[in-house]
Amino acid sequence: MRGEIESNMAVDIRLAGTRETTKRAVPDEIANLVTPGDVITSDTGFMRGHGTYMEDDKLHTSVAGVVERVNKLICVKPVKTRYNGEVGDVVIGRIIEVGQRRWKVETHSKLDSILMLSSVNLPGGELRRRSEEDEKMMRHYLKEGDLISAEVQSVFSDGALSLHTRSLKYGKLGQGTLLQVSPSLVKRRKTHFHHLPCGASMILGNNGYIWLCPTVSEETGTETGGYDQDLQPVTKGDRQTVARLRNCILAQAAHGMMLFDTGILYTYEASLKYPVKDIMKPEVMTEIIEITNHRQEVEGS
Amino acid sequence: MVDVQLSDAEKIYILHGIQDNCREDGRSCEDYRHLEIESNVVSNTTGSARVRLANTEILVGVKAEMGNPAPEKPDKGRLEFFVDCSANATPQFEGRGGEELATEISNLLSRSYDCPSCFDLSSLCVLPGQQCWILYIDVLLLECGGNLFDASSIAVKAALFNTRIPKVTVREDEGHTELEISDDPYDVQRLNVQSVPCIVTLSKIGHSHVVDASQREEACCLARLMIGVTEKGTITAMKKEGSGSLDPASVEDMMETGKKVGQDINISLTCVLKMEERQGVKRQTIGFLR
Amino acid sequence: MPTDSRRITGPETSQSPHIYQKTNGTEIVLIDENKKRQDGRGLGDIRPMFLRAGIVSQARGSAYMEQNQTKVICAVYGPREIARREEFSWKGQITCEFKFATFSCLHRRQPQQDGEEKDFSVQLLEALEPAVCLHKFPKSQVNVYVTVLQDDGSALAAAITCASVALADAAIEMYDLVTGCSARISGGHILLDPCHTEEYRSEKDNTVNNGSVTLGLMPSLRQVSAVTSKGELEFEHVKKAMDQCLEVCQKLYPVLQQSLIKSVKEKLEMDKLSDCHTT
Repeated sequence: MRGEIESNMAVDIRLAGTRETTKRAVPDEIANLVTPGDVITSDTGFMRGHGTYMEDDKLHTSVAGVVERVNKLICVKPVKTRYNGEVGDVVIGRIIEVGQRRWKVETHSKLDSILMLSSVNLPGGELRRRSEEDEKMMRHYLKEGDLISAEVQSVFSDGALSLHTRSLKYGKLGQGTLLQVSPSLVKRRKTHFHHLPCGASMILGNNGYIWLCPTVSEETGTETGGYDQDLQPVTKGDRQTVARLRNCILAQAAHGMMLFDTGILYTYEASLKYPVKDIMKPEVMTEIIEITNHRQEVEGS
Repeated sequence: MVDVQLSDAEKIYILHGIQDNCREDGRSCEDYRHLEIESNVVSNTTGSARVRLANTEILVGVKAEMGNPAPEKPDKGRLEFFVDCSANATPQFEGRGGEELATEISNLLSRSYDCPSCFDLSSLCVLPGQQCWILYIDVLLLECGGNLFDASSIAVKAALFNTRIPKVTVREDEGHTELEISDDPYDVQRLNVQSVPCIVTLSKIGHSHVVDASQREEACCLARLMIGVTEKGTITAMKKEGSGSLDPASVEDMMETGKKVGQDINISLTCVLKMEERQGVKRQTIGFLR
Repeated sequence: MPTDSRRITGPETSQSPHIYQKTNGTEIVLIDENKKRQDGRGLGDIRPMFLRAGIVSQARGSAYMEQNQTKVICAVYGPREIARREEFSWKGQITCEFKFATFSCLHRRQPQQDGEEKDFSVQLLEALEPAVCLHKFPKSQVNVYVTVLQDDGSALAAAITCASVALADAAIEMYDLVTGCSARISGGHILLDPCHTEEYRSEKDNTVNNGSVTLGLMPSLRQVSAVTSKGELEFEHVKKAMDQCLEVCQKLYPVLQQSLIKSVKEKLEMDKLSDCHTT
C-alpha cells in the first residue's frame, strides 16, 4: 500500500501504524538480567563491585543490567551508561573551556575531562618546553568547539579523565563528521584508527564518539597533530563515502549492533545498492542490517 | 535554537558539502527527511497528533472550549496557539529557558493562520457576538532534533484535521436562547484544513540554502527564511530569522524553493491523513512506543 | 491576558468605542477611480518623513522619526558589560524592546508588552543585528528601546529606520544603516507605506491576496536584513511588493545620512562654542 503513495510523494510522510517493528539483532536469551533492588546473592563470600550495594548481608543490584563476575568480584554492567573511561582508551572529545594551562574536554563522561597543556604536542617540535608564550596562545591552538582525538592518560580519584595527545596520530581533527552512539556499542579492539578501503578514515572512540573523514594521503598527512588544517573543499565522491558510512553506522547503532571495522564495512557493502539518503529509511535499514547479520554469521566474525 | 557546538573545520565541511549539493547524511539541498505521523493519540482532546522527524518529536493537542468572541470579530471563533518547550527535550529549556523559542514558534504559527482565506474562523461561531468556539492549540516539544518550526506546523495541521467539535444546536425559548451540545461522538463538526499552511524553513548556509536542516546544519546557519505555504502555493506568512542578512536575489530563490517544498509537504500530508482516516477504528495505534 | 497587579489597569472589560462605530455598511475604498488613495497619495508614494538624531539627551544615542501621524522615538544605551553572562563570547549582544505607548493606537494598549509587541521586538532585533559589528564590543551589550508615540501605520518599518539612526548616533560601529519600508497588498495593487486605515487586518480582508510585507534593507551593501509578511498572498505579488519596498528603502538612505550629518555638525559646533568659552 505504501509503495504506490511513495512514488508520487516528494516528501516522505508515513503513518506510525504502517511502521514495521524493528527486530533487534540480539541473541534470544540474555542470562543474568537484573533490575535495581534484586538480590544477587546472600553468600557473603563475594566482593561488592560497581552497580551493587549491601544490605542485610545480601548483595543487591542498584542498576538495571547484566551481572558480571570476575572471581570473587561481582559487578552489574548497566545497559545504558555514560562513558566510564579506562587508561589507554581512545576517545574523541570537544573542547568546552580554555583554562589555566588546561583545556576542559567534553567526552560523554560524568565529569568533564582535562587536557593539560603539558600533555599535548605543540606545533613545531615534540620536545619543546612550554613557555609562558604558549600559555597565552592556548586558545590559538585549541579553542572552544574544536574536536580532538586523544588517549586517556590517567583517571582521577573522582572519575574525571586526564587525556593526552602526545602521539602524532592524536590531536585536533579537521574536516569530517562526528557521530554519537552509546559507548557500550563500541567494541574494544587493538586499534581504533582505521583507514577503510572505501576511501574514508574512521576513529571509533571508546566513548561512543565516532569520527569519519576522507582519508588523506600519508605524506601530506594528518600526522602534524592537526595544527595545519586543510580547509580545501572535499571531493563529492569522498563526501558521499563518508555520508554512506555515517548512515550505515547509525543504522547499526539503531539496531543495537556492536561497532567495529569489519562489521561496518559489511553494512557499507550491503548498502551500496541504495542511494545514500535512503539508508535512513526504516525498511532499507532493516534490510541492510539483516544482510550484514547473515554475512557475519557465515563468515563467523 | 538549541545549541550545538561545532569546530571551524566541521562547519567548513558542512558548508562545502551544501555547496556541492551533498549534505552530511547524503541528502541534497531540497530533500526532506522522512516523517512519521499519527493522529488521535490523546483521548482527552478534541484533536491531537504526533509527528516525528528524525530526532524531533512533537505532540499537538487541540481543545475546543466555549467563550466570548473578540469584540472586533463578533461572528468568528478564535485560535489560541501555545508552545511548550518541555525540559524533557533538553535541559536548556528548564525554567524559562525555552520561552523565547516557544513564543517565536507560536507567533509564527498564529501569524500564518491569521488569514480568513486559509482558515475559516466563522465556522467556529455559535451565536454571533455571544458564544463561539475557542480552539486552544497546544504544541508540546518532546524532543529536539532540528527543524522545529516545520515539524510543529505539520503536527498542528494534522491535529486540526483530526479535530472533531461536538455539534451545538441553538434553541430560542421564550426570549432567551439555549445551547445544547450533542453528546453523540458521531454528531460532530469537522474543520476544513484544505488550505491551511505548513511552515517551511530555508536555512542559508554559505551561498546555498537547504530545507529541513539538521541541528548541526542549523549551527552553521546565520540567516533563515520561514514561510507559511498553502497547498495552492500561496504564502500566508514570511519571516527572516537569525543574525545574518540576505541578498535580495537569494530571498527570491529561497521563496521559490519554499513554495515548491511547501506544496509537496501539504500534498503528502493530506494524502497520508486521508489514508489514516480510511483505516478507521481498525487502525493500530502506536502512540509513544518506539 | 496576564495583568500587571502593580498598575491600576482600569475596568477589565472596557472596550474601545471605535468598534461600535457604524461603517456605513460599505467597505473602505483603498483606491479611488483616479488611482489615488484616501489621503491623496498615488500607489507608490510614501508619506513625507522627518528624522532627527540626538533627541534624548541622556541616552548614548537616539532618534525621532515622523511620517505624518506615525511618530516613533528610539533611545540606545550601552555598550555595557553583560551582567550575567553564561559563557565566554567574542561577540557583543543587542537587545531590543519595541513598545506602543498605551495611548498611541485607536484602542488602549496595556502597559506591559503584548504578543504583537514582543514579535515586533524580535523582528526589530533581527533587522538590526546584521548591520552591527558585534565583534567590536565583546562581552558587552547594547540596549535599543523603541517607543511608538502615535501609530498611523507602518510602525515596524519606522522603528527599524529610527533605531538604526539611533545606533549610528550612539557611535556603535556598524557595517551599514538599515532602512525599513512596508507595503500593503490589496488585490492586484501594491500600496507603499500604508497608513492605519490601509493596513492589513485579518478580520475585514477576507479574500486571497490581501496582506502586507515589511522589508528592512542595508542600502549600501544592498542586503536584506529583515522581511516579514502577513495575509495569504501569491508569490508574484510578494516579490513585486518586495522589489518596490527595496527601491523605497534605497531612496530613504540619503535622508538618514543627512540627519546623521546634521547631528554630527551640531555637536561639532557645540564643541567649538564651548572651546571658545573656555579659552
